[in-house]
Amino acid sequence: MINKKTLYLSHRHPLQIQTAVQKRSYPHVFLTALLIGLTLLYIQDVQASFSDDEGCLICHKYPRMTRVTEDGAIRSYYVMPGVFANTVHRNVPCRDCHSYIKELPHREVKEGVQCNSECHSVKNPATGKQFSHKGIYDAYKGSVHGREKNTQGIESDKPYCITCHTNPIYDPNEAGPPKHIVDRCVLCHEDQKFVEQWYKHTSRRIRDVKRSSEEIVQLCSSCHEDKKLIDRHVKHAAENNLELGKKFKVAVESYEESFHGKLTNYGFQGTANCLDCHAKEDNYYKSVHEIRPSRDPLSPTHKDNRVETCKRCHTRADSNYAGIDPHPTALADDGVFRHYAEKIYDLISYITILGLVGLSMFETFGRRRDGVAFRLRKGTSWRRKSKRGRDRVE
Amino acid sequence: MKLSVEAKSVLETSMRQNRISDDERKDVNDLISSLPDDRVLLYKNVVSNPIGDIYRYSLHIRIQHMLTFVTFLTLAFTGLPIHFFNAFWAEPMNTFLGGVEITRVIHRTIAVIMIFTMVYHILTITLGSIVRIKQGLFDIRRTMIPLMKDVRDFRDDLLYFAGKRDQRPEMDKFMYKQKIHYFAAAFGNTVMIVSGSSFLFPELWASILPESIAAHFQELMRLSHPHEALLALLVIAFWHWYNVHLAPGRFPMQWTFLTGKITREHQIEEHFHEYLRNLVELPEERELLCDMLESRELCSEPPAQSNADLVTEES
Repeated sequence: MINKKTLYLSHRHPLQIQTAVQKRSYPHVFLTALLIGLTLLYIQDVQASFSDDEGCLICHKYPRMTRVTEDGAIRSYYVMPGVFANTVHRNVPCRDCHSYIKELPHREVKEGVQCNSECHSVKNPATGKQFSHKGIYDAYKGSVHGREKNTQGIESDKPYCITCHTNPIYDPNEAGPPKHIVDRCVLCHEDQKFVEQWYKHTSRRIRDVKRSSEEIVQLCSSCHEDKKLIDRHVKHAAENNLELGKKFKVAVESYEESFHGKLTNYGFQGTANCLDCHAKEDNYYKSVHEIRPSRDPLSPTHKDNRVETCKRCHTRADSNYAGIDPHPTALADDGVFRHYAEKIYDLISYITILGLVGLSMFETFGRRRDGVAFRLRKGTSWRRKSKRGRDRVE
Repeated sequence: MKLSVEAKSVLETSMRQNRISDDERKDVNDLISSLPDDRVLLYKNVVSNPIGDIYRYSLHIRIQHMLTFVTFLTLAFTGLPIHFFNAFWAEPMNTFLGGVEITRVIHRTIAVIMIFTMVYHILTITLGSIVRIKQGLFDIRRTMIPLMKDVRDFRDDLLYFAGKRDQRPEMDKFMYKQKIHYFAAAFGNTVMIVSGSSFLFPELWASILPESIAAHFQELMRLSHPHEALLALLVIAFWHWYNVHLAPGRFPMQWTFLTGKITREHQIEEHFHEYLRNLVELPEERELLCDMLESRELCSEPPAQSNADLVTEES
């Protein structure tokens, strides 16, 4: 039997797995192998339910459908039908996204999937138009993170849709609709499977499906903590006379040192994570895609918007409060006041401790010369012979 | 013994404030006259009880010390794993206490008790001083208030430790070390309370401070709370515990914080002016000292002239 808990977590947090993969190569291999292994076990119980009318599985059903990339990594093109059939994209035919495939067998793929393309086979039930992520994609394109799918150089450091989003698998342990709801719905909609799917689709969105604060910080940190990436952007900005955020270099480490960061690190969910301040409050699910730098007047961290941003949690915040640095560091080029205050504190501490230890040793030395013993016994601690020529009368 | 000007003044003030009879005054003066000139011989020859001989601290002060002792260590034990959350020992400590959310609650609760202790202490010394003033018993030299004499005492004590001076200075009830320690603790407590409150009520502090310093204040408080805590912990560990546990003659510990009493030899060595007051206030102490001087043949020659002429500068 498979480990249900592990499977559940792997379904629930594909992001975490991906983040770990980006950071370390060995965990990547291990986690991938583990995931594939568990999935192989899992799919024995899963009936392949999506239809392959386009014949893609003729080749992609083979687990060894892989190639070695230019940088030596093994890339798998294996599609697990039983798993894909349980993803959010299960009703989308392959070529709705991989629209550049014109023939079989196809040539080397260079274009990649554009997430703003329209799904020819799925219609938006609200508008009747072909379904597309174009709206949220445009919001993302207007953000500081926005970039084209196929881009080179410094721009390629920016995240694309799949950096944050995978193709989530439905949680097999998720509760289905209560019988009394199904009983009512099937009276008109007839198909019980359709009813259950719509119930899960809707109820999942009614529930708060945000990532946890720790997951959000981990996701943002996967790029903003990358020293090489930061150095590249700092250098690029200097060479091209571009403006970077004041905290760009220290965003993660300073957050971790802040009260918000500490509490998040301890698992508190009510504390501000990256998105609580850097994304607008209105329509969270859209605003997290259109993050802007603090120099942009539309950013919630812009100096004109900070009070309102702080007030989301700190209801009594005013302009004085909004002036408090949420990313504090003691670096000289970041916070001069704190930098020198910390140095003065350190100096006072060292002088105090060294001075007091020195005084104690000096006192011990001076009194011992005059004949004091360490313990008070038999009514006195002056039992020893003084080197200064006056002793207790015995 | 030839008393210094300061010692003479302390003695006279004490006799006047205690309204002692002429006979008692004569007893005290005779006893002082018969003390050996070398005060070192005095504290080397008295008999002391390790748990204390002479009453020094009231029950209130002992309760306050106990409260400070418990709250300080508990605050350090709960505050350190909160601040140094990334250290390898932080998580086990938090787990031991029931999780960081429990650690935080304990830290804040104990902080309230610490603040209560501070208020209790301020009330005690304020009301105690008012009562003493009303009774005509107040003497500023007997309080924690720093005086220029403390600076001279510090200098003279260093000279004694270095072997450049024959005797330790004649210090009062609270010597320079105790005053430094007391005001360091008072300052530290204040910093911890203010900075701690700035963490709990950041909006309140930001709203009452001028805009130009509100942000810097918060930064300074964030810096001050852990720094002051660490400094206090190190001072306690290296200095206070040295003075009350490790210093020669005090090992393994002084019992004053429990019994309220100080040993006789300690009182004469480090708080001689207070011991002079003890001789005025405690007839039994005079008798005991007199017996010791006679039994050990330490009495000095009777003075040829009156005590008023005996005032000389201490070497």
